[in-house]
Amino acid sequence: MTLFLTALFAGLAVGSVYGLIALSYTVVFNSTAIFNVAQGDLMMAGVLVSYFCLDRWHLPQLLTLLVIIAVVVTISLIEERVAVRPFVAKPVVGLGWFIATLAFSLIIETVASIIYGQNPVVPIPGALGNGTVSIAGVHVATKFILAFAVMIVVMLALEVFYKRTWLGTAMRGVAEDREVAALRGIDALRISRLAFVIAGLVTALAAFVVAPIVSADVTVGLTYGLKGFIALAAGGFGSLRGCVIGGLLLGVAEQMFDLYVSSNYEILAGLILVLIVLAIRPSGLFGTRAVRQV
Amino acid sequence: MNGIATRLDLGSRGSLRWMVPVVLIILLFIVPQIGGGSAFRLGEYEEVLSFLVIAVALNIAMGYGGQYILGITAVFAVGAYAAILCAKYHPAGIGLVPMCIIGAVAGGIGGLIIGLPALRVGGFYLALVSLFAALAIPTVAQEWGFVGADTGIPLYAVSGFAPKLSGEVLYIIVVAMVLLATLFSWALVHSRVGHRFVALHSSEQLATSIGIRAYRTKLLAILISSAMAGIAGGMYVYTQQFFAPGSSSVQFAVLLLAGMTIGGMGTITGPLIGSIIILGINQFFTSFQQYNGIVFGVLLLAFAIFLPNGLMARINVLNERLGIRRAPGTGARPGTPAAVPATVVPEPTASTAVTEKPAAQLPSWPPVLGSAEESPLVVDGAKRSFGGVTAVDDVDLTIVRGQIHGLIGSNGSGKTTLLNLISRFYTLDAGQIRIGSTRLDNQPSDVVARAGVARTFQSPKLMFGSTALQNVIPAVELRIRCSGAESILRLPRGIRTNRAASAEAAEILEALGLRHVMDRQANLLPHGTRRLVEVARAIAMRPSFILLDEPAAGLSPVELELIAEVCQNLARSGVGVLLIEHNVPMVLSIADTVTCLHQGKRLFQGTPAELRADAAVASVFLGIDEPLEASS
Repeated sequence: MTLFLTALFAGLAVGSVYGLIALSYTVVFNSTAIFNVAQGDLMMAGVLVSYFCLDRWHLPQLLTLLVIIAVVVTISLIEERVAVRPFVAKPVVGLGWFIATLAFSLIIETVASIIYGQNPVVPIPGALGNGTVSIAGVHVATKFILAFAVMIVVMLALEVFYKRTWLGTAMRGVAEDREVAALRGIDALRISRLAFVIAGLVTALAAFVVAPIVSADVTVGLTYGLKGFIALAAGGFGSLRGCVIGGLLLGVAEQMFDLYVSSNYEILAGLILVLIVLAIRPSGLFGTRAVRQV
Repeated sequence: MNGIATRLDLGSRGSLRWMVPVVLIILLFIVPQIGGGSAFRLGEYEEVLSFLVIAVALNIAMGYGGQYILGITAVFAVGAYAAILCAKYHPAGIGLVPMCIIGAVAGGIGGLIIGLPALRVGGFYLALVSLFAALAIPTVAQEWGFVGADTGIPLYAVSGFAPKLSGEVLYIIVVAMVLLATLFSWALVHSRVGHRFVALHSSEQLATSIGIRAYRTKLLAILISSAMAGIAGGMYVYTQQFFAPGSSSVQFAVLLLAGMTIGGMGTITGPLIGSIIILGINQFFTSFQQYNGIVFGVLLLAFAIFLPNGLMARINVLNERLGIRRAPGTGARPGTPAAVPATVVPEPTASTAVTEKPAAQLPSWPPVLGSAEESPLVVDGAKRSFGGVTAVDDVDLTIVRGQIHGLIGSNGSGKTTLLNLISRFYTLDAGQIRIGSTRLDNQPSDVVARAGVARTFQSPKLMFGSTALQNVIPAVELRIRCSGAESILRLPRGIRTNRAASAEAAEILEALGLRHVMDRQANLLPHGTRRLVEVARAIAMRPSFILLDEPAAGLSPVELELIAEVCQNLARSGVGVLLIEHNVPMVLSIADTVTCLHQGKRLFQGTPAELRADAAVASVFLGIDEPLEASS
C-alpha cells in the first residue's frame, strides 16, 4: 500500500508537469488553431536556465523563477514571430505550421545541447526545500505538492481568464473564426502574440516545478512535448480540465506501469493510453467538440 | 546535387521534370566510383539508400495522401527488428527477399496499429501519435534483452548467416530497389488509388462527394507506406547486418521530414533529392555534426514558410513558365499536390476561358449509378438547426428523374444547407431523405454519392495541382470496376480501365467545351471554367441525381447558356436535377418545378408559371402585393 501511494503521489507530481504542458498547448491552440510542437523544448530551456541559476550561480529561488519566465517567454515570442506568424497571417492550409514549429523545436534543442552538452541535468533543490509532508502515512516531497498546486492554480486562473474577461473571450473567438473576429475589431496577430506570452508563462512555471523533480538531458524536450500531447489527447482537446485530468492520468499510469509491470518500459504506458483513448473515445475524456479537420 | 539538376533543367527546352530522375539515377550508380568503393563506404551508401526508401514511402502517405505519419521510423524499426530476428534464429537460407517480405508484413501491422485509432481523429493527431511511437520503440528496445537491448543485434556475428550478395553487386541491387520503389510510387500516384489519395488530400468533402471512402482510403495510404518502410527495414538489416535502438531515433524522423520538405512533398523525385541532401550532410559531413540541428532546423523553417512545396515544385513552376507542357491528350500528368504555389491568382485569359459554345450536340448521359427503377429522391420534413438558428425547417421536396427542380431563395434561406443535408455533410435533426425505399439520411456521404447522387460546391472544390482531366477521372473510376492493385501494377484490366477512365473523362470535358484546358492545372483556371470542370466531374459519375449549387454564379453569358443546356440535356437523359440558383430568369426558363425557400421554410412549390403568379413570393422578394405576372 505504501508503495502504491508513493507511486501515486509521484505520478500526480509528474502528471502535473504534463498537465501544465497540455495547458500551454491549449492556450496556443485556442487562439491560433496551431499546435505548438516546440512547447516541450521551451520547457527544457526553462529547466536548463533553472539549473544555471540555482546550481551554478546560486541565485535565490524567486529570482530564478523570474529569470526562467523572462527567458521562456522571450523564446516563445521569438517562436511566434519566426515560426507561427507566417501561418497565422493567412488561413491555415495544410500542416506547414506543424513543420515550422517542429523545426523551431529542433533549433532550441540543438542550441541547448551546444550550451550544455549531452550530460543529464542534475535535479536542483526545490523552492520549498527538500522536506517531506506526511500524507496518509506516506512521506510526500514538498516539491511534488508544489507541482500539483501550481497546475491547479494555473488551470483555475486560465478558466477565469477565458470565461470572465473580454480578452479571454476574444482569444477564443479568434480561433473559432478569424474573419468574424477581425470584423469585431480583434487583431488576430496581437492575440496570437498574447497567446504565446501566456503559454510561455505557463511553460516557465512548468519548468520551475519540474526542475527539482527530474534529472533529464536537454534533448528530451520532444519527449515532454509528446507526453503533454498525450495528456491533451486523453483529456480532450480544448478543455482545460481535460488537460489536467489527462496529465494526471498519464503521470499515474506511468508510475503504476513502473510499479506493477516494469520500470524499463515506462514509455509504453503513454503509448497504450493514447491508443486506447483514441480507439474508445476519440474526442478524449472531456472533449466535447471534435477536433477540426486540418 | 540539386544545383546540377537545376542548371541542367534550365539549359534544356525539354521537360525539366524528366531530367531530374535521369541525373539522379546516373549519380546513384556512379557514386562508388567517385566517393570510394571500399566495403565500409559501400555499407554507408547502402544505409542512406535504405533510408531513401523510407522517404519514398513517407511521400506516398504524406505528400500524396496527406496523412502525416511522421513517426514512420517506428514502422521502419519494427520491420527491421522482425527481419533481423528471423535471420538470427534461422540464419541459413534467409536472403534479401525474405527479409524484405518479413519487414513489409511487420511494418504494415505496425502502421495499422498506429493508424487505426489515430485516424479516427485525423490531422496532426496521427503526426504526434506516430512520433510518440517513434520515440517509444527505440526506448523500449534499449531495455529489451530479446532484441539485443542497448547493443542491438549484430547479425554478422551470427554463425550460419552468410549473405549471398555483397560488394558492388549488392550496391547495384540496392540502388535498383530504390528506383523500383520510386517507380512504384509513380505508378501508384497515376493509378486510381493515387487519384483517390490526392482527392482526399485536397478536400475530404470533395472526396466523399465522388464516393471515395475516406477512412478506408487513409488507412490504405498508411498501410502502403508502412509496408514500404518495413521493406526499407529489411534492406537495412541485410546490408548493415546489424540493428540497434540507435539505428532509428525520433530525431531521424525529423531529419526525414526535413528532407521531404526541402525536396518537395507530393513530387516523385523531390523527397529523394531532399533526403539525399539532408542525410548526405548528416552522414558524411560529421565534423560539424553538433551544429547540424541548427542548420536543418533553419532550413526546414525557411522552406516551410517560403517554399512550402520544396525544390521540385520550383522546377515545376519553371516548367510552366518556360511553357514546356505536354501536348494535350498524351495522358495524365503527375498529380502533384500543390505543385504551384496557392498564392498564384488565376487570371481569366482568352486561352482558358470558355468563350464559345461547343458546336456539337451534347451527348446523352443516362444514369449508371443508382437504382434501375425510376424512383425519385424524396426529402421529407427535413429539419436542421445550428445553435439557435433553424436553417432548414420542415422542408419537403421531391426530385423526379428526368426533371429539373429549381431551388431559389435569398442568401441564408437554407438552400445550401438543404443540399448539404441531402449529400449528408450535415445530419438531419428531423425528417427523412430517401430514394424509393432506400434511406439516405443515415448513410455516410460516400454511400450517398455511390447511390447515384452527385453534386457541385458553391465555391468549386478541385484537386491540388491536378489538371482538369485528372479532376474528372476519379469520378469516372468510381463506377468502373477494377481493383486498386490491378490499376497500380498496370495489369491488363488495370491498363484498360485506366485508359477507359481517362478517355471518358476527356469526352465529357470536350462536350462541355473544355478540351483546350484539359491538361491545365484546374485550380489556376478562371472561375467560370472551374465551375464547369466541377460540373463535368459530377456528370462523370453518371448519377441518377445531380445537385448543382449555384453553377451559374460568376459565369459569362456563353457559359450560362451552356449550363442551362447541360441541365436540360441531363434531364432529357433521365437524370433528376436540383438546381440552386440566384439567376431566377434562368431557373424559371428551364425548371419543371420550382421550390422557393424563405428563412429555412418552404415558401412556395410549383411550376414556374405558378411562381410568377404567386403573391407570397412577390411580397417576400419584391415587397409588392401583387404577383409578378400582374405587375409586369
